[in-house]
Amino acid sequence: MHSDRREGEFCRQRRAWLRTGVALAGVSLLPPSAGGDAEERRGDDPRAVQQAPVARTGGDVRIVHSVCLGCNARCGNRALVRDGRLESYSGNPYHPYNHQGRPVPYATPVARTLEQPSPVCAKAHDSINGVYNPYRVLLPLKRSGPRGSGRFEPIAWEQLITEVSEGGRLFAHLGEDRLVPGLRDLDSDAPLDPRAPELGPVRNRFVFMSGRMQSGRKEFIDRFVKHGLGSINRIGHTDICGLGFRMGNLALTEKKAVELKADPWGASYILVFGANIYEALQPGINTYGAAIARRSARGEVKFVIIDPRAQRASVHAHDWLPVRPGCDGALAMAMIRRMIERKTYNHAYLSAPNPAAAAALGHGCYCNATHLVIDDPGHPDNLGFLRMHHLAGAGGQERDDRYVVLDGEAPVPFDSVDRAVLDQGLLLRDDRGRQIRVSTAFRMMRQGVMAHSMDDYARFCGIDRARIEDTADEFAAHGTRAAVCQYHGAGNYAGGTHAAFAVAMLSCLVGSIEMRGGYMSSGGGAADPLRGPYDLRDFPGRRRPRGIRISREKARYEESSEFARRRKATGSGYPATRPWFPFTKGGLSVETLAGIDAAYPYGCSILFTYFYDPLYSTPGGYRFRKTLADSERVPLHVSIDTAINESNLYADYIVPDVTYAEGHYGWLTPHAPALRFTGVRTPCIEPLTPATADGRPCCLETFLVDLAQRLGLPGFGDRAIPASGGARLPLHRAEDFYVRAFANMAANADLPEATAEEQGFVEHNYPVARFRDRITAPQWRRTCYLLARGGLFAPYEQVFAGDRFRHGVQRVVLYNEELAASRNSLTGERFSGTLCWRPPADAAGQPLAAADRDYPFALVTHKMNVHTQSRTTCHKWTMELLPENMVVMHVDDARGLGLRDGDRVRLVSRSNPGGISGRLRTGRQVRPGCVAVSFHYGHTQHGASRLAVAHAGRVFLGGKEVTDADGLVPDPRRGAGLNPNLVSRLDPRLGNTPVIDLAGGIPDFSSTRVRVTRDREERPVDRAREAVQQQQAGPGFVAQS
Amino acid sequence: MTTRREFLVGSGLLALGATSALAGSARATGRAGSGRMTMIIDQARCTGCRSCLIACKGYTATTPGHFNTRLLEGEDEHGRAVFTPVQCNQCDDPPCVRCCPAGATFKLDNGVVVTDWDRCLACGACVTACPYGARFADARHGGKVDKCDFCQDRLEQGRVPLCVEACSAGARLFGDREDPQGEFAACLGTSTFRVLRPELETGPNVLYVVHRDYQRQARQRTTGEAGGSGNLPQG
Repeated sequence: MHSDRREGEFCRQRRAWLRTGVALAGVSLLPPSAGGDAEERRGDDPRAVQQAPVARTGGDVRIVHSVCLGCNARCGNRALVRDGRLESYSGNPYHPYNHQGRPVPYATPVARTLEQPSPVCAKAHDSINGVYNPYRVLLPLKRSGPRGSGRFEPIAWEQLITEVSEGGRLFAHLGEDRLVPGLRDLDSDAPLDPRAPELGPVRNRFVFMSGRMQSGRKEFIDRFVKHGLGSINRIGHTDICGLGFRMGNLALTEKKAVELKADPWGASYILVFGANIYEALQPGINTYGAAIARRSARGEVKFVIIDPRAQRASVHAHDWLPVRPGCDGALAMAMIRRMIERKTYNHAYLSAPNPAAAAALGHGCYCNATHLVIDDPGHPDNLGFLRMHHLAGAGGQERDDRYVVLDGEAPVPFDSVDRAVLDQGLLLRDDRGRQIRVSTAFRMMRQGVMAHSMDDYARFCGIDRARIEDTADEFAAHGTRAAVCQYHGAGNYAGGTHAAFAVAMLSCLVGSIEMRGGYMSSGGGAADPLRGPYDLRDFPGRRRPRGIRISREKARYEESSEFARRRKATGSGYPATRPWFPFTKGGLSVETLAGIDAAYPYGCSILFTYFYDPLYSTPGGYRFRKTLADSERVPLHVSIDTAINESNLYADYIVPDVTYAEGHYGWLTPHAPALRFTGVRTPCIEPLTPATADGRPCCLETFLVDLAQRLGLPGFGDRAIPASGGARLPLHRAEDFYVRAFANMAANADLPEATAEEQGFVEHNYPVARFRDRITAPQWRRTCYLLARGGLFAPYEQVFAGDRFRHGVQRVVLYNEELAASRNSLTGERFSGTLCWRPPADAAGQPLAAADRDYPFALVTHKMNVHTQSRTTCHKWTMELLPENMVVMHVDDARGLGLRDGDRVRLVSRSNPGGISGRLRTGRQVRPGCVAVSFHYGHTQHGASRLAVAHAGRVFLGGKEVTDADGLVPDPRRGAGLNPNLVSRLDPRLGNTPVIDLAGGIPDFSSTRVRVTRDREERPVDRAREAVQQQQAGPGFVAQS
Repeated sequence: MTTRREFLVGSGLLALGATSALAGSARATGRAGSGRMTMIIDQARCTGCRSCLIACKGYTATTPGHFNTRLLEGEDEHGRAVFTPVQCNQCDDPPCVRCCPAGATFKLDNGVVVTDWDRCLACGACVTACPYGARFADARHGGKVDKCDFCQDRLEQGRVPLCVEACSAGARLFGDREDPQGEFAACLGTSTFRVLRPELETGPNVLYVVHRDYQRQARQRTTGEAGGSGNLPQG
């Protein structure tokens, strides 16, 4: 029992410690245990008398500043590790994300910050349960039954490396006689298709797809995939992450930047288009949402939610416009029309034709509103910009490619005047007297906007015209402190490229691009990790991948052999077998899977998937189950992951990986407007996966190193990393790469050497310090300065010159020439280079809402603030708080269907007539005619199903807790709720693969329509949930959240 | 046996709050000694992010299904969200203390209500008596009763309760109403507050700054046995 006396003694120690400050160097950061208290600690009862600090102290305590991976937002974190076990996370006081842009000054000594409170979000707190997830896989697994059977057996590391490298009849013992390709079979420069040499070499049959990829590991993976083996197919998942709004920004900035958002620290008025600012976003709720909440409470910023769902930010929003799903573009177009008609746009800004003219007006970047576009179907360069050489022949001189603007009626070079005519269309004559019809970019944009009336736009988007007009007027009245913040919802659907372009244009029209408080890009990283004392980019024998990606992203169909053959045969080269995407940000995972499915433009031989669960997290991902199950389409599938998920259930091998607490070294740059930093992630605990014979952990890096060594690929092994002075250093394990990257950053940022105290802090606390001999001693001392602070961070004020952002894009466009030159590869039609609005449609052009009118509800999806897409069903505190997700329906709709709150309902769609089942929640937080369902729930794997894994007690981290003699024992709580992606609309025109935007390749998250009926079918999961809830119910207890 | 008061004075903890290194950086400073520890929850800032709930759960390891810090969620007539974080009010006149037959639950000199599990009989009287649903039995420990104690152990370390630290929007202010400091003092002096169920005259020490737009009565989602605490704070 605790006596007051003992507590007194303890507390005196505590006080002494606080007085003298935290001991950084030496044995321990925090004071040693009060001693002899072991028996006082009562296991699961840390608060025996509710005043027992004893339970919080003692043991070997370590502190590490790192970067969170609870989601991709990249907040800083501070890990508290006791006796080698990760105990809790809080924030990093140096990191602007944890402090809404206002962290402690970078030079502050670490000792002064250790007691400073610093917040992280719920996901970060709960991610400890992801690290110690009992369903984590620790050993390499090989399939021991048919694909998808869930039968696996552990194999030795050496066997894994041999079989994946060399291939062979690897599954003959299962009755599969086929010859499985190994990576060595793809180490060839022979063309993969002699009839189409542009597709590239055989190497491209190796496809590496990633889910949560971040910088650090990305460079390591690229070193293997692109520059070691030489495949062009290292493809991310930007498309399902949020390609829609990025396509709008890509069009606006001519591919210069995609992360533009309203500056949350300076804006006075924000239109929040489909950005879930209190529940998700990048930067996350800890940063963007919290900053908005603080400023909103002080009356410094007003914001309007534009979303079919009120979302949680409605709590502080000035207004909520419940837009019809997929029709954000129509609402933006209506607002633009209003601004044009009322002339409330920033005329002076738009009329400035060049950078100097815009700068003279105090603006951060200029726009091309005044530049003349050839609007003349007879002209060979129709829909391109008019250039000076179009007006006057070259005459032997160098061609004058300058844009042309109107000075009065005279065409002049864009850089010769400081103001030009904004809204004009006319006929010009060139020096040979030929007429050219031209329009200013503004006029081109205006024509697109004026294609529909205000009333039509209001009808399309489902918002009253008067509310649209009021909102547009108020937005314009805030000038350069007004901006949009668009995210996932604003453009993630068919037609999303142009919808998001229109949304982005709103900020351009008020002149707030790259202005304090306006629509700003990220400031980027603070130091290059790849160059410096160590060259981590180049190496002897480095391959340059070439050819066409299997997703057909960033490639022109018209340059393909297929197009030439088809044109020869039919006269027209169209349609392509599947769409190509010449103008896209890329990362098209859906079209990668569709390409694998169709073996188009070529077949995949070996698929690696990393930290990725596409069958769960892709809208319509269920379509690809049969793709992954088919050994013709995917002859070898290797998954690198921490658990068995819905997708790698179909893998041939699963390679156990570490979590971010144990690895995932990286350098993480901001998505946030106006911020410039590079956070640094290092482990806080030793890997939980077993080590290889030579002491390296089973994980991604060790796997790739050993494959490369076995295959003799360049860039790995002895003498792989060139160092200054001509040395060549080995790359055998993760730290050989990453520690040198950190040394590069410290050198490039010219950081000071850490004090002895801070060096001691890193060396005592950080597991990475074991690898300090990878760099020189002076480099290590500077690197300690970086590691001790968890990265390199620049102050907000430093990124501005006056109100202009120093690191922004230099130019934005109302008319995008490259977009205008790209074509729909199914029809041959050119995409509009400026704004236009069309309702979301399938690949045949049929509007989806009309096609599915028999399904009365539009399904909208969203993230929750306590979850990350597909991998947080292991967050046990969150699952205790929110055991399932709900089908949220407007109370009036529910009444009309005779449904009540809590009823079990079934959602069926045209593409999934079987549907999905969940419980109903009624309210007014969703637009009538819509139902909202979050992600994160409805898992069938991640511990939700029984799996016949051999030696399961050794395979899974939880050992006996989650296994028996037959394999893995499921926890039904992990499968609670429903996954809305399972009813997403597929497109029959595209072989029943998911609906996409044909311009950018954006998967559609907004056009699925469903029928909702009462579901009387009871599932085992229901009973399990009810059992849990009964356990949770207690006298006087108020249901939370 | 020394009284708690004597122990705290003797250990110098009373001075800790004022001298703590936290004073300059935290929004408020915890204090374990005498006083009237008070939490202000600003509904104009709370984003409903639930970080406080999960942080608290991880730290206090409450029995499954129960949380010391909870979030009541509602919506107004326009469908917009309303969030009311709730926890033990550390009442000036706590019904739970009055009804405890064993004297196991009592107020510390800093105003925090705690339960001594060495004396708790697990009779559940306090659970029923609490009008805020803030108490619950821990079946893992024979039904002894658990509740929020403003992270008394952290206060003794000169820290603020973990929910305060976890709040990135700064919606929670913490301090001593008898000796207010910093932003807590400023808020105390300038804001008007509401408390939960004022008609019971329990003297709650969790005060709410109500979001300006929600002066009107909002519909509060009350699932389970709300016990009245599901209502928006009344002034």
